[in-house]
Amino acid sequence: TMLKGMTRLISRVHKLDPGRLLHTGTQAPQNLAAHLDDQVSSERRRAISRTSENDPVKTFNEACLMVRKPALELLHHLKNTNFAHPAVRYVLYGEKGTGKTLSLCHIIHFCAKQDWLVLHIPDAHLWVKNCRDLMQSTYNKQRFDQPLEASIWLKNFKTANERFLSQIKTQEKYVWNKRESTEQGSPLGEVVEQGMTRVRSATDAVGIVLKELKRQSSLGTFRLLVAVDGVNALWGKTTLKREDKSPIAPEELALIYNLRKVVRNDWNGGAIVLTLSQTGSLFKPRKAWLPQELLGKEGFDALDPFIPILVSNYNPKEFESCLQYYLENSWLQHEKAHTEEGKRELLFLSNSNPGQLERLCACL
Amino acid sequence: MAAPAVKAVRRWSGLTLGLRSVVLRLPGVTQVRWSRYGPEYRDPQVDKEYYRKPLAELTEEEKYDRELRKTQHIKAAPAMKTSSVFEDPLISKFTNMMMKGGNKVLARSLMTQEVWGSLFHCIPLQTLEALKRKQFEKYHAAPAEEQATIERNPYTIFHQALKNCEPVIGLVPILKGGHFYQVPVPLADRRRRFLAMKWMITECREKKHRRVLMPEKLSHELLQAFQNQGPVIKRKHDMHKMAEANRALAHYRWW
Repeated sequence: TMLKGMTRLISRVHKLDPGRLLHTGTQAPQNLAAHLDDQVSSERRRAISRTSENDPVKTFNEACLMVRKPALELLHHLKNTNFAHPAVRYVLYGEKGTGKTLSLCHIIHFCAKQDWLVLHIPDAHLWVKNCRDLMQSTYNKQRFDQPLEASIWLKNFKTANERFLSQIKTQEKYVWNKRESTEQGSPLGEVVEQGMTRVRSATDAVGIVLKELKRQSSLGTFRLLVAVDGVNALWGKTTLKREDKSPIAPEELALIYNLRKVVRNDWNGGAIVLTLSQTGSLFKPRKAWLPQELLGKEGFDALDPFIPILVSNYNPKEFESCLQYYLENSWLQHEKAHTEEGKRELLFLSNSNPGQLERLCACL
Repeated sequence: MAAPAVKAVRRWSGLTLGLRSVVLRLPGVTQVRWSRYGPEYRDPQVDKEYYRKPLAELTEEEKYDRELRKTQHIKAAPAMKTSSVFEDPLISKFTNMMMKGGNKVLARSLMTQEVWGSLFHCIPLQTLEALKRKQFEKYHAAPAEEQATIERNPYTIFHQALKNCEPVIGLVPILKGGHFYQVPVPLADRRRRFLAMKWMITECREKKHRRVLMPEKLSHELLQAFQNQGPVIKRKHDMHKMAEANRALAHYRWW
């Protein structure tokens, strides 16, 4: 996928080998890592919010992305990264529905094709709300474990990065409980298996994976891409409560604590791409989209030198090509949608916002 | 529909300019449902094409019509009527019938409009979208010969399904000799459309599992009606059979 500026900015996604499927769904269980052999790599349609159950692969028999400027910029930066320097943080920000998550998917796809190890968290907001089973962590009494979310993530990580799991070896010995332990030098796949089978220690397994990957990416055997969607969840507030109904701060969740350590730029050999998201965020006003507003002071300081990339609404060419794509696939079935009048109306109603356009076209 | 019965006489007072003066058609019978506009008020013309026609192309009648509009009173356009190209009066009527307690926002979101800005992960909250997706899945699963026969336009499916559900003949209770007899009667067009929509909505509201959402159920019923199967079509046939059974009572009708 060589991405140059073209008049029609849509590129068809190429097939990857069956072992390199990515899980890019926002809702992990329903994600698009369908295990079919001739499955096109699982990118989603231009909509971000509802693609989990509305699988574009089912509707169109293919999955396509539109190549846009912010993604192109990021890819240019990624191609010219110097892996000896500390990892650079890129933050995709923009108003709601402009395509931040899909740009992230584009980057992930590119890096996967280039054989990087992709550490993708589909939505960090899912880790700070609606957790049924919250247990006190065995490793550190102050923190809390989330076995369900951790095991889901481990499963997806395994399908995405099978190749690397046997290559990377742990550098320390980890003792899970009285009977089980992982020796030093055993492949990372064992840690992941351990986490998936013993759900109680899944969170600790995730922590170990993150720590090992961060440590070993500096050695240069593989390149690490950390992609987090909804990174403002790491520094906001949670809706989870302890048994005595007192609120939990995000630091007290083991998953969030480990994730914060990865997102710090004290390692080299890769890149960190983050996306802000208001839609799943807690206690943030609906109209907030700037990094300062969504991350808060703490988050902004923690992320502090980062490269912000603005993702904006469609420009006229992009809008036109999006409509062309819909018309080609006969997604727009209404007779009047083909006419100039209809197109002008869609432009006006959606204000060139990609998400809004998608929802409008869904019912036409 | 009940036979025109004698309604109580209602006194109407307060005649102001332009409002209707009481028009008594039969002695002792008054309009129960009336509009506040008098007969001289004309309906608003929302169609953009009408106004875009250049002056040279107009015929004599249209020119006269335009001049007349400048002097006559015109009713206010209702809030839900737009000059959008995508508007469909049948869909609007159906949405209004589905509305409960004046919650037009909810009814519209269930039927057509997206619910932008609400839940992050949500299944198609609209009937038309669900219809389209189901048909697309079928389309892709079918072999090439069948693909041409599968209809993917949700609007055509909707219209055709409702047309299939319209009864041809209806039953009306007529009082004769102290008993009410169900007499078969031809129905007006609007009554038939109303009955089709009403049956569809009642069916979807009542006969479903409590966790099934309205758009899902509605899309399923519409697809079945499109193929002339399903419970609503069955109800229409039951109505026809009852009318056929009561054929002998047809003489009780006097209009």
